[in-house]
Amino acid sequence: MHGSVITVEGIVLDKNATLDALGLMCPMPIVQLARKSKEMKSGQILELLCDDVGAKEDIPAWCSRTGHTLISMGEDGKTLKFYIKIK
Amino acid sequence: MADKMSIVVSEGTFDKAVMPLILATTAASMGTEVNVFYTFFGTKLLTKGVKPKLPGMMRLFTGMIIGRMKKVGIPGYGEMFKQAVELGVNFYACSTTMGLLGIKESDLVPGVKVLGAAAFLKMAQESNVNLFIG
Repeated sequence: MHGSVITVEGIVLDKNATLDALGLMCPMPIVQLARKSKEMKSGQILELLCDDVGAKEDIPAWCSRTGHTLISMGEDGKTLKFYIKIK
Repeated sequence: MADKMSIVVSEGTFDKAVMPLILATTAASMGTEVNVFYTFFGTKLLTKGVKPKLPGMMRLFTGMIIGRMKKVGIPGYGEMFKQAVELGVNFYACSTTMGLLGIKESDLVPGVKVLGAAAFLKMAQESNVNLFIG
């Protein structure tokens, strides 16, 4: 997968993939995130876009349980953006 | 959340059908080993081609609810079941209930195993989370 370099909160990241989960409600963002994370390689960065209100708690909880790292979480209007490093 | 979870499903209406699948799928997405045991009226939910309906008079609104769920990305029952199986959720049909309700193993969706109470209770004892949906 091609990386595209982005800067998030001052950290330069080589983003490898984006998962667009906009419009999906719990638990679908988590289900798709789990599937996508299995397709990716260790060390890669995944950008997740989501507008599910529950995601603010769901995504960090998922990362904490599965061992993937939540590098950063931000809001762009109603869109939540998560940057996750695959373990 | 737990490393091992077991769920018992004893009813076969649409709401009772969808709830364990959503919980099981989410838990499996978080690395939990999930075992779901269907008994009595829930056992029908494991048969091929089943289309569960909302209870009583609300059965008429089943299609509407399914439509609303699909709009937010939640698939219909059959598709949700397949996704759960793909994520590694284990599904079990109660052997005794199958006998009582005349359900044959060939009626069951592929991937579903038949189990008795003792074997299931051993799994439940090893689980951090045990839920009863019925």
